[in-house]
Amino acid sequence: MSWIDLIGFGEHGRGGILLWAMGMTLAVTAASLCIGALLGAIVAAAKLSASRPARWLGDAYTTIFRGAPELLIIYLVYFGGSQAVTAVGQWLNYEGFLGLPSFLAGAIAVGLISGAYQAEVYRGAYQAVSRGELDAARSIGMGTMLRFRRILVPQILRFSLPGLGNVWQLSLKDSTLVSVTGLAELMRTSQIAAGSTKQYFLFFIVGGALYLVLTTLSDRVFGFAERRVARSFRHSLGRH
Amino acid sequence: MDFDVAFLVSTFVKLVAAVPMTLGLFACSVSLGALFALGITYCRVSGGLVLSAFARAYVFVFRGSPLLIQMFLIYYGLGQFPAVRHSLFWPVLRDPFSCAVLALALCTAGYQAEIMRGGLQAVPSREIEAGRAAGMSGLLLFRRIIAPIAIRQALPAYSTEIILMVKSTALASLVTVWEVTGTAQRLISQTYRTMEVFLVATLIYLLINFIIVRLMALVEYRLSPHLRERPVPASGGGRQGEVHG
Amino acid sequence: MADAPVPAISVRNIRKSFGQHEVLRGISLDANDGDVISILGASGSGKSTFLRCINLLETPDEGEITVAGEAIAMKRNRAGSLVPADRKQVDRIRSELAMVFQSFNLWSHMTVLQNLIEGPVHVLKRPKAECIAEAEALLEKVGLAERRNYYPAHLSGGQQQRAAIARALAMQPKALLFDEPTSALDPELVGEVLKVMRSLAEEGRTMLVVTHEMAFARNVSDRVMFLHEGVVEADGAPEDIFTNSDSERFRQFIGNFQA
Repeated sequence: MSWIDLIGFGEHGRGGILLWAMGMTLAVTAASLCIGALLGAIVAAAKLSASRPARWLGDAYTTIFRGAPELLIIYLVYFGGSQAVTAVGQWLNYEGFLGLPSFLAGAIAVGLISGAYQAEVYRGAYQAVSRGELDAARSIGMGTMLRFRRILVPQILRFSLPGLGNVWQLSLKDSTLVSVTGLAELMRTSQIAAGSTKQYFLFFIVGGALYLVLTTLSDRVFGFAERRVARSFRHSLGRH
Repeated sequence: MDFDVAFLVSTFVKLVAAVPMTLGLFACSVSLGALFALGITYCRVSGGLVLSAFARAYVFVFRGSPLLIQMFLIYYGLGQFPAVRHSLFWPVLRDPFSCAVLALALCTAGYQAEIMRGGLQAVPSREIEAGRAAGMSGLLLFRRIIAPIAIRQALPAYSTEIILMVKSTALASLVTVWEVTGTAQRLISQTYRTMEVFLVATLIYLLINFIIVRLMALVEYRLSPHLRERPVPASGGGRQGEVHG
Repeated sequence: MADAPVPAISVRNIRKSFGQHEVLRGISLDANDGDVISILGASGSGKSTFLRCINLLETPDEGEITVAGEAIAMKRNRAGSLVPADRKQVDRIRSELAMVFQSFNLWSHMTVLQNLIEGPVHVLKRPKAECIAEAEALLEKVGLAERRNYYPAHLSGGQQQRAAIARALAMQPKALLFDEPTSALDPELVGEVLKVMRSLAEEGRTMLVVTHEMAFARNVSDRVMFLHEGVVEADGAPEDIFTNSDSERFRQFIGNFQA
């Protein structure tokens, strides 16, 4: 049976499950980006706040989740989370091991990591917003919530785009580590296919190639988005 | 969570025992990767069409695909071929440590090559021109003008990459190398005390990072007297002269 | 038009320090409806700070601000500094004043038209169609009608400032505050902005203008106020003080400019 058959869609072809696994990889990365966006916004707000304890907590968060190896963080969430879930089960009188679902564990773990990077992105974006434009909003009587909604958030989103593109690429590659939880994403699926057919070289090359497809596509998408947003904000010659 | 100091200490001791392995992976892969990166950058910058295309393809592949798959490819994939198993490289390619180092080195080479290229591009052309005007060319120009400036430009990005390499060594645990993360995972599955082991292991990595950051800062400091405050003239120039801290 | 009984803006004894440096040392001002008051002074004399205290973009350490007869309620906070007592009142009063800034400060993610209707729609809560119609009329007035869908980054400095003036007018303010409106403009663009400001003065708008443009101060304003190191050194009609002022410093100041 040739290698083409193995990666194809025939009876012994792994093509189908590999494509499905690609979808799983995208799904877990997208979920982690959302979780990370929420965490990142909170931590960025903490680091920008006037309160010293809040800043300290924000710094602690980014130090830990950017400093610890991603694999260790996945172990923390997966094993620790499963222990927590089992403990809750025992409290509800269920004896026996309850595992944290691997998709959830993966999304949370990569989310915690991307949250630390996203916090820096949002913090930088906030600081890039022109103080003058906020003054102008104040000077016509816009209240705090209105300013936040109409001026601050649109501009923060626009300035975050390049940084978020980087975080997405990072999370896409971190998602391979979720394979240790057993989630059938692209890495694990390649591994299983390789192991069952003994065609390690083939399936890891194919898996790698599929990841390259994902990262290249993501690059295109983010590049397109950045260009569209930049169209309105191309800096005028001369002044600011 | 009670503070079981005894457990924390014994965990710390067990994990510290694995630090030399982590550092070994780190040092070997960063230096090997730097060597590869120099080659790739040379291909990219001075090579002809073919070499420069190879360099660009290399960087694209190794930065676009995940490190773990690269590592599995080398550890499991290469051993699949009889040709490899009977070659003289086999003792190296069979050993988990060497495979991990090779994978890490190839991966970081891609990132380091980009950093070096950025450093070279940041050398102001007017300073190269001045070198040429003084009669320098080729290797001399590179050695005395281009490389020193490029290195200083690349240092911050290089520091970042080095820190990332320390974290990447953790993946070696998935090909049976017993460094800190692998040891931590074993402790967790034995003792079920996930949070404590995680915190101690993270602390160790943070300490390693801290030391490396300090060392890099020292290198940056030593290499950039031109970016610091103006020195106070040795001859007693004016008491009112500003003294900077 | 006879003086209205209630001044449009009335400011008493404003004091402001930044750290140890006392920038404003007790400045008072009354502006009646239709007054065009130019505020002159060297850099660091506090003129921009004074203007920004009027709409509370800076909070004075001492003083009272009254707009159209309504005093802004202030109180002391725990640290002892003066703070506004009612945020909603501050927002409301700000919506009755409008400011034109040295760096234009148009919202970069909105087109010119969107910039103009933002305040009327979201702060004044007027119907959108009405605001758009008015905005277009204002753009016509400042000469930017064809650029209504341009983004600020695509306009020249003079065009951006004219758009900013239109944005201020869209709020239908009781008074306009100008903070060095032409200082950031290339010389050849200054004229178009001054032309707009002059026509607003001739319409009878109440305007407080911090400026370096001597010709505007001398020819267009009803009153000129000269600040030096936080105090009012000269104050009066331009025909009086430009020709014979008591203040040595003021005479020196205008001597540095060709009037």
